Amino acid sequence: MDGIFLQQMINGLTLGAVYGLIAIGYTMVYGIIGMINFAHGEVYMISAYLAAISLAVLAYFGLESFPLLILGTLLFTICITGVYGWVIERVAYKPLRNSTRLAPLISAIGMSLVLQNYVQISQGARQQGVPTLLEGAFKLNIGEGFVQLTYTKVFILIAAFVGMALLTYVIQYTKLGRMCRATQQDRKMASILGINTDRVISYVFVIGAAMAALAGVLITMNYGTFDFYAGFIIGIKAFTAAVLGGIGSLPGAMLGGLILGVAEAQFSGMVNTDYKDVFSFSLLVLILIFRPQGLLGRPHVAKV
Amino acid sequence: MSSTLASKRFDVKKSLVDAVLAGLIALIVFGPIVGVVLDGYAFNLQPDRVAAMIGAVMLGRFVLSLFLQTPRGLAILAGFETVGSGVHVRDPGYQSHLRWVLPLLVVVALVFPFFASKYLLTVVILGLIYVLLGLGLNIVVGLAGLLDLGYVAFYAIGAYGLALGYEHLGLGFWSVLPLAALAAALAGGLLGFPVLRMHGDYLAIVTLGFGEIIRLVLNNWLAFTGGPNGMSVPAPTFLGLEFSRRAKDGGVPFHEFFGIDYNANFKFLFIYLVLLLVVLLVLYVKNRLTRMPVGRAWEALREDEIACRAMGLNHVLVKLSAFMIGASTAGLAGVFFASYQGFVNPASFTFFESALILAIVVLGGMGSTVGVVLAAFVLTVAPELLRSFAEYRVLLFGVLMVLMMIWRPRGLIRVSRNGVQPRQGVAP
Amino acid sequence: MSQMIFSKGFLALAVTAAMGLSSLAQADLVIGVAGPHTGANASFGEQYWRGASQAAEDINAAGGVNGEMIKLVKADDACEPKQAVAVANRLVDQDGAKGVVGHFCSSSTIPASEVYDEAGIIAITPGSTNPQVTERGQPGMFRMCGRDDQQGIVAGDYIVDTLKAAKVAIIHDKDTYGQGLADATKAELHKRGVTEVLYEGLTRGEKDFNALVTKIRAAGAEVVYFGGLHAEAGPLVRQMREQGLTATFLSGDGIVTDELVTTAGGPQYTKGVLMTFGADPRLIPDGKPVIDKFRANGFEPEGYTLYSYASLQTLAAAFAGAGANDPAKASAWLKANPVQTVLGKKEWDAKGDLKVSDYVVYAWDDKGKYHQQ
Repeated sequence: MDGIFLQQMINGLTLGAVYGLIAIGYTMVYGIIGMINFAHGEVYMISAYLAAISLAVLAYFGLESFPLLILGTLLFTICITGVYGWVIERVAYKPLRNSTRLAPLISAIGMSLVLQNYVQISQGARQQGVPTLLEGAFKLNIGEGFVQLTYTKVFILIAAFVGMALLTYVIQYTKLGRMCRATQQDRKMASILGINTDRVISYVFVIGAAMAALAGVLITMNYGTFDFYAGFIIGIKAFTAAVLGGIGSLPGAMLGGLILGVAEAQFSGMVNTDYKDVFSFSLLVLILIFRPQGLLGRPHVAKV
Repeated sequence: MSSTLASKRFDVKKSLVDAVLAGLIALIVFGPIVGVVLDGYAFNLQPDRVAAMIGAVMLGRFVLSLFLQTPRGLAILAGFETVGSGVHVRDPGYQSHLRWVLPLLVVVALVFPFFASKYLLTVVILGLIYVLLGLGLNIVVGLAGLLDLGYVAFYAIGAYGLALGYEHLGLGFWSVLPLAALAAALAGGLLGFPVLRMHGDYLAIVTLGFGEIIRLVLNNWLAFTGGPNGMSVPAPTFLGLEFSRRAKDGGVPFHEFFGIDYNANFKFLFIYLVLLLVVLLVLYVKNRLTRMPVGRAWEALREDEIACRAMGLNHVLVKLSAFMIGASTAGLAGVFFASYQGFVNPASFTFFESALILAIVVLGGMGSTVGVVLAAFVLTVAPELLRSFAEYRVLLFGVLMVLMMIWRPRGLIRVSRNGVQPRQGVAP
Repeated sequence: MSQMIFSKGFLALAVTAAMGLSSLAQADLVIGVAGPHTGANASFGEQYWRGASQAAEDINAAGGVNGEMIKLVKADDACEPKQAVAVANRLVDQDGAKGVVGHFCSSSTIPASEVYDEAGIIAITPGSTNPQVTERGQPGMFRMCGRDDQQGIVAGDYIVDTLKAAKVAIIHDKDTYGQGLADATKAELHKRGVTEVLYEGLTRGEKDFNALVTKIRAAGAEVVYFGGLHAEAGPLVRQMREQGLTATFLSGDGIVTDELVTTAGGPQYTKGVLMTFGADPRLIPDGKPVIDKFRANGFEPEGYTLYSYASLQTLAAAFAGAGANDPAKASAWLKANPVQTVLGKKEWDAKGDLKVSDYVVYAWDDKGKYHQQ
């Protein structure tokens, strides 16, 4: 295995981990109310701004140690973004709970326009950034080539893994998780059994936003830059990842993200960067034609 | 019921609590983003803006909370709980007031351009293009219930069909018009055949992917499509006469041939009139189709696919027909768009465009023709009207979209159908 | 019933539309400032607006043009061709603009200029460098900046003569401006006998170019030429450095903003980045008082701000020189006479391009500032 291939693998995995974290928000919301939350990419964008604001404020108060900075930023960003998730659901989707299937979709598109422009107006249209927090990189010599892996990327992979593990624990083993799964399987039945499904739906939006916030902090650290438009492309990619892995399935979202990331990186390396998006969308179309429920999704059974 | 309402009326304390809670949430939500403005790696504090926002939110919440305690507000709240039926059935033999309004509207539409300024004319042309797009997507989404998020691909095929047809084959507006519709329908068929067997939501995603693929190919295939530079599009001609001030290749321009003064509006006037005719034609065809067996089959399939298949309906063919007819309409719209703009490039065919067209269909009331026409104008004219709000324009547009959906989740106009008078007597 | 209400609503909408469209000021010389005031490129739109409004203020304070005050109209195209055409029609038709400063993205300027040409008004773009902007024989289209083909020659020569590089990777952002610039540089390199080792496009709005960087590394490039804007240039150069790629980074005038440093994550990444741009307008002595005015208002006149200022100055001078606020006469006057602007003395050729283009190479230092080489 040569250095270039390995480097592309690393590129793909870090990108994919980030896609996966955002894809969770899409997949959970879809799983529970069958709606494509188009504003989710914007939630990620807001979390990137929050992360930068938190870093700037903490640095202003003279905080310099990396673990404290990152911990404070994560806490702040995840909490506030979670509130954003809740507010968005409350304002734009909850009134539409009982209406046609497409109404919340349009409302979501409107919401995503609102969020984008709200951030642009309040923060200005300029490109924003954060200073580099973790400098330095591992360097591995392989044959004639070498692989360079920054500490930031290692941190991203670890943090994404921890975040996923935590979420899996919550969904599998806690009361809240059981309520979520019950609501996902049958909302009416769950409410008959005494679960406040409206509240569960709100929780799901908060959890999705929190995962997007984790992704937001990690992406902001890694790439150092973002703008109010950043949510759109990454949102579409993460959504693609969610579908690829099987929408409604949590491990599927992560797997879909990783596959998409690696596929993009390897395709750009071996063939052509121009057509990498064409390739990933074609991959999506092909997988859906031959395996309509996605890689790890459950097949859809229509009942009378 | 009404007496309990009256006694409960104006629980000011509850409204105040609501307002304070909303204010708290507003502080959390707006505080960081509005109050701390990033400036490089540093920041500026703007507490006054946050205070203004919180004040507005609290006031708004207070008023809303009071309003929702009035009978009218309670009625609206109750409205959220009910599902409501999709189609409103009128009495048999009911005749719509529209039959008086429609001919009037057509006359107005025919006379209007001769008095309109160029700007107004161009905005209305854009509106009509979206009417066409909305009508096409309405067949796919509204009638057949197939969620298509990549509709813009067919629109792009039409627009680029004109540009490429002119560049490589020397075709003009008139010859491309039917060809583009055909090409778009063909593309729709090619895409639709494998994916229409899928469950609805997957179709949405596959079409989204398809829309992006088309746009990316147009952007990347530099030698054929001009890439991001786009391609210029020939102006339409009237029986071979050009509308420009100076005709190319020694021809005679339209205004000289008829001996009238040159007016920059001619080209747009012409596009407008042809477009209007096409829109009317599509309206007519659509109206007929919904009454034909195939139209009934679309709606039946939308309501219950399993039942339809049990009744022996070929669901793939029925869906495919809707998909292809919808696509061909978008192809037509694309040709008009290209000649209206005189230039096409991939930036006009992004996912946002698909979302906008979908918004037209949903906002118009899925399946309702009048609604689609109205919504198309609202959504294309609104951003232009909002231009005076400068940077708040798109923000307000988004707010309008959310509010309209909350206010009328089933669209501006309810789909209604005349009831059938059961035949008297005993069946043979 | 509901239908009745809505047709009324629609009528009301139409009436407001008609009223909104009939506000036309007569005593002013209306000039449109068209550019991306919203959308992903809004920071350039802000530079346009700041520059033009300062210029209008100064010109009006000095008595206006031919006795009329300049009134600016902000026209937002968001760098979308569709909106550019709509807003151009609005400027011409509704606002009665006699001149336009704009647009920014070449893909907007080209379709919009058709509208201006048809209406016979004068337009001058501070920043659209695509050759096609002035190559279509429109009498009223001018440019305040250079052209991509001129810029590409400077960049290509610099790579061959000064950097003496044989392995060049050319990256562009698949947009009219970026790709046009990259192609111009590529053409010059070919002329000088250098063939690129890599020619690829990235997608605007994305931030992850790691795969592309690895590919550049695999190709063994010594110089990376990038045609595009700072939003992508910053992360690209950072990811190059992070992967241990030390190749020289050279780009064009699309990265001329301090935000490049912000987007790259700090001056340690942008150190040594080269770019071609017109001789720094902030170094030209003519502009000193104007620049001080901007700074006094707390705005650093970077990038296109002074170009926008100079564009409006030029329009005013052309109208004044023609002796009447007649766009056709002003266009003819501008092609025959030089104008003293904040950027120095400028002259235009028959196409509407500047007679002298003054592209030079700049380098970014370790403090995050750029200096002429």
